[in-house]
Amino acid sequence: MSEPAAGAIEAASAVWPGWLGGVAIGVFTTLFLWATGRVLGLSSAYGEACGALGVDYFRRKDQGFGQAWRLWFAAGLPLGGAVAALLGSDGWSVQTSMGALYESVLPAHTAARAAVLVLGGACIGVGARMAGGCQSGHSIAGLALLNPPSLVASAGFFVGGIVMVQSLFALFGATP
Amino acid sequence: MSAGAAMAADSAEATPHGRPAPALAFVLFGMLFGLLLAKAGATTYDYYAALFLFRDLQLMWVIGAGALTGALLIALLRAFGARVWWGGGRVEPAGKPMQRGLLPGALLLGLGWGLAGACPGTVLVMAGEGKTSALWTIAGVGLGTWFYGRLAQGRPVEPALADHAEASSPASGAPPVAPGA
Repeated sequence: MSEPAAGAIEAASAVWPGWLGGVAIGVFTTLFLWATGRVLGLSSAYGEACGALGVDYFRRKDQGFGQAWRLWFAAGLPLGGAVAALLGSDGWSVQTSMGALYESVLPAHTAARAAVLVLGGACIGVGARMAGGCQSGHSIAGLALLNPPSLVASAGFFVGGIVMVQSLFALFGATP
Repeated sequence: MSAGAAMAADSAEATPHGRPAPALAFVLFGMLFGLLLAKAGATTYDYYAALFLFRDLQLMWVIGAGALTGALLIALLRAFGARVWWGGGRVEPAGKPMQRGLLPGALLLGLGWGLAGACPGTVLVMAGEGKTSALWTIAGVGLGTWFYGRLAQGRPVEPALADHAEASSPASGAPPVAPGA
């Protein structure tokens, strides 16, 4: 069980208890599958976008690409984020802060911060294609399908995340 | 619901309704998913750092409860032989295959996850919430994906997969953004 100090983490809008958010996402995953016949997943949408921009690999049906629904689904996500922010107590606003924890370890200089995030994003992009999916496809949908490769992938995601964040805080974190 | 589906193929495209889910349905589903991710805390950078520091397991509960709920409900759909609403075929989700590079890829993705505090999906929601840092991460994910695609360009065709994928996507040979056109 976790009992963070009050106000330890500031979210854009009131966050539900973890179990409730999980149940809602599990119900959503099932309804999405039932309605569309598609297995939830997002990282491949970046592939579809690259395919649209002319990278032939991401147009290849034999590699599972050429499925336009992924782009439409991905296009809905920012809209959902905007709605979440508008429903929050502070409304929608531009936020540059990444929160107390990340602000304490990532470089403050804009260009350096951007370089770190682009690097992190690139690791996510290459890694997701090597693994054949990201957290939504492997950890949410894949675990719900009781799919063994997705269990391996999910464990790998967590190990990578733990190694990176523990290293960041060991190297750059002020002792709390 | 989708009655008269006895003759329907299991492909999502050969449907008693005669068509797959429209683009608008996917956009609305995406919106709802984005909203749920935000309410679950998955669009708050610090929940990721706190998770990997073992200070706050919010997102562990989200993933655990999400997978468990999904597993139970999808097992029910299968047990009752449910049919896809836009499609008519039985609900028979295919799990992702084991592939070479899965574990190193997962570790690499995990490193990026910890560094950027976001996933490929949640970072899109964060951008919609107005979080400017998300734009850099999105650019990075796009670059990494593009780089992988360039390297994988010459990969030999897998005929079995080609046939399977052909059935589930009508726009053969056309760029993947075709449905509006």
